[in-house]
Amino acid sequence: MNAINIEDDDKPLRYSDSGNVHMDFHVATNTTIDFIIKNFGLEAMDQIFSRVGKDVYVDVRRHLMEGNAGELLKHWRHFFDRENADYNIDISDTEIVLTVRHCTAYHHVKNIVPKVSEHFCDQTIKTNNAMADGTPFSIDTEVTGPGSCRQIIRKRL
Amino acid sequence: MIPSDHFTRFYNEVFKFLESRGEEALTAYWLEISKSQSMLTLDLFRENGMEGMRQYWEHIRIEENCDMDLDLNDDRLELRMNVCPSLSKIQDNDAEPMERYCDHCAGWIGPIMDKLGYHLVYDVVDRQKPQCVMRVFKDKQKALESEKSAQLLMHWSGKLSD
Repeated sequence: MNAINIEDDDKPLRYSDSGNVHMDFHVATNTTIDFIIKNFGLEAMDQIFSRVGKDVYVDVRRHLMEGNAGELLKHWRHFFDRENADYNIDISDTEIVLTVRHCTAYHHVKNIVPKVSEHFCDQTIKTNNAMADGTPFSIDTEVTGPGSCRQIIRKRL
Repeated sequence: MIPSDHFTRFYNEVFKFLESRGEEALTAYWLEISKSQSMLTLDLFRENGMEGMRQYWEHIRIEENCDMDLDLNDDRLELRMNVCPSLSKIQDNDAEPMERYCDHCAGWIGPIMDKLGYHLVYDVVDRQKPQCVMRVFKDKQKALESEKSAQLLMHWSGKLSD
């Protein structure tokens, strides 16, 4: 089997931020998830995440479509660094594994609101699924504990 | 994780979904955000008045990388957003912008000001430009007077419970 292509085209990410990070946005995401599910159901929330994965992350998806997982890798590194998460990425011939040991988004919300939504991590699971949909890759997300997960990119067989 | 940096693009998708479900859905959502934001603002505003508001938006100016002028006067707090990072990101986005994206600010801030007895005058100026002027008054007459000079005055209909 050929190794996963993680070529970096040396172009900046489509959305690349600098400056400060406003972590309280994660609290608004938590509020939003509970509001949408309570009023419109889980399917509606999934539909919104799917639009984020497909319509917002067009460029990451384009790279995946072309058989290149490098842009998603760059995206992960950029934003997990910016949010000061504790993570590492292991790359083998058959898979790329992002292990998040301390998700700062989850823990920031947990420190502010009485209860983190039980669907908080759906933002990752469903957006990953949408980004990978119709591409040569799958992105499987396993929540391994409160504020920790593994995200695995594999080539579809 | 949807990064904090990308929250507004997620917000934009939420707004488009809710708009497709009707105006009441949008209003109810902004009110829910207002309730959530109350946790971060209500005590500060109640205890410190407009100085507390200045402190909050100064924190926002720094954390959200806003090009913003903030002036606390005897009779009002005035916020001039020169370049709004939130709308700027919506305009620099591969997904379609929600046309009324700017409306959410008054949608969540308005109910908090109402609850505390302040008067919000939110001039969006132009929904296509990432700039606006927000004024908060204690005196209702002064607020009404200020409304007359607004170019695109934003209203809100949500109300926080006591």
